[in-house]
Amino acid sequence: MGEEYKHSVILKEDRCIGCTSCLKVCPTEAIRVREGKAKIIPERCIDCGECIKICPNHAKSAITDDLSMIKKFKYTIAIPSLTIYGQFPSNISICEMLNAIKKIGFDEVVEDTVGADISIHLIKEYLLKKSDMNLPLINSSCPAVIRLIQMRFPDLIPNIIDIETPLEITARIAKKEASRRENIKIEDIGVFFITPCTARVTSIRKPIGISKSYVDGAFSMKEIYGEIVRNLGDCNSSNMGTSTKESLYWPIAGGQAAALGIENYLAVDGIHDVIRVLEEVELGKLEDVDFIECSACSGGCVGGPLVIQNSFIAKNRIMKYARKMKETKHTIEELDSFIKMYESGLIRLTEKIEPKSVMTLDKDIVKSIQKMELVTEILKSLPGLDCGVCGSPTCRAFAEDIVKGENCKAVCIVKTMNGFKNKNK
Amino acid sequence: MGNIAYDFQIEKDDFERAGEASSKIKKILRQLGIDSGIIRRVAIAAYEVEINLVIHSLGGTISISIDPKSIMIIAKDIGPGIENVELAMKEGYSTASDKIREMGFGAGMGLPNMKKCADSFYIESIIGKGTIITMKMMLKDGE
Repeated sequence: MGEEYKHSVILKEDRCIGCTSCLKVCPTEAIRVREGKAKIIPERCIDCGECIKICPNHAKSAITDDLSMIKKFKYTIAIPSLTIYGQFPSNISICEMLNAIKKIGFDEVVEDTVGADISIHLIKEYLLKKSDMNLPLINSSCPAVIRLIQMRFPDLIPNIIDIETPLEITARIAKKEASRRENIKIEDIGVFFITPCTARVTSIRKPIGISKSYVDGAFSMKEIYGEIVRNLGDCNSSNMGTSTKESLYWPIAGGQAAALGIENYLAVDGIHDVIRVLEEVELGKLEDVDFIECSACSGGCVGGPLVIQNSFIAKNRIMKYARKMKETKHTIEELDSFIKMYESGLIRLTEKIEPKSVMTLDKDIVKSIQKMELVTEILKSLPGLDCGVCGSPTCRAFAEDIVKGENCKAVCIVKTMNGFKNKNK
Repeated sequence: MGNIAYDFQIEKDDFERAGEASSKIKKILRQLGIDSGIIRRVAIAAYEVEINLVIHSLGGTISISIDPKSIMIIAKDIGPGIENVELAMKEGYSTASDKIREMGFGAGMGLPNMKKCADSFYIESIIGKGTIITMKMMLKDGE
């Protein structure tokens, strides 16, 4: 792993002043400040984007693709994240937004609702009714949560619903249909996601649960927003809107459970709360719950690191559109076709999700125990303030870094000062 | 062979911190690179014993010792002791008050769960003195 793991969260070094804001919020302790600049430990980063949200100097950023990438393909399809509907005033219709996106230079815009709708009905009418599922089921839609589970809760991997994310389902269907309709090869069709999410960008480059993503690139919603705004203002072409009530709930915390009509569920948003709840699941305390909807971002996907509006406003706006929609009902034939797509593996996570043991001190248990003794010993001499001035997020992490040999130069300022005080007594 | 040991003090009725010790144990095991299935078993057993100490005992200590072959958990309390150990080991049997049951504890599964999670389980209790529970989990099969 390591280098080949292509992250989307990056550091703009010139902007970083070496403060400790990001150290503290990182849920996997993946950041250190070394020589006055934040460094991301690639093996540990789950691309949740917490550091992007907190950085007061906007030094944490995301690498997404450049718009020029669409020129590489003969036919291009944009799939805007459902969160986009919350980024504009409510007097702008969904149709208007989709047209504005198309005008950027895409041949087609397909709503993510296509996949969300299939996913919702498949889980609701099929997967939740199966008897051999590991309860509580955990949604597969948040890639940051999946990576967190791989790293910190590997025992819960079997609880993840093995269904593709709405984006991948939408991309597959859109590509297939365009290929048939326009009579072009699949390879010549480029599908691009307009993303609120850094973790999703990473998943396009390095997918989990599938061998290759059907999405060819991702544009940051923040970066493309200006273009969309400039293109707004006409809705003359046919209505492209296919949104359903349930699919519009999807990007909002608690929305998946609401769309699924489940009563016995937990909707958890915010990565630190997700960790708290998964700890309970791991202890076997929540086996009487059917479904746990986890989203790394507060508020759900509308709280993503690459959105424009704050999540509360976005939620309000999306709910306004949703209220106007009718509930969807699928025929038995349609449902059967969804089940077929799932059973055949087309929209299913067919690759095993592997645990990632990046938290261990050493591969060899004897050495691990020796190192742990050393960590415990060093910890005794540290103040336990977890101030982060040394560049490690906690005193414990400081001790671990020393034992791992990653932190030869750093010193504990508090300890040095106390030593100095004692000397002068 | 090298081993490493930790002690955790558990106070009677300290619901605020209940679960902290088992959570710390879990983190330590994760860092040591122990198999995740075993971590889960140890975590559940440690959590059950921790909650038991909080609810039923007058306070005590949980000690955990890890060597490359096995994990040993010893929970020792200072009373009041279990009247009928055989009965206490039965699934569903509980002496917990209604109030505690309402909080979701005291389902009578604590001791049976611990036994299920451990490769060897030993309990000794003397009224007026206290209870000692010793649990061992093997890290490698057949050794």
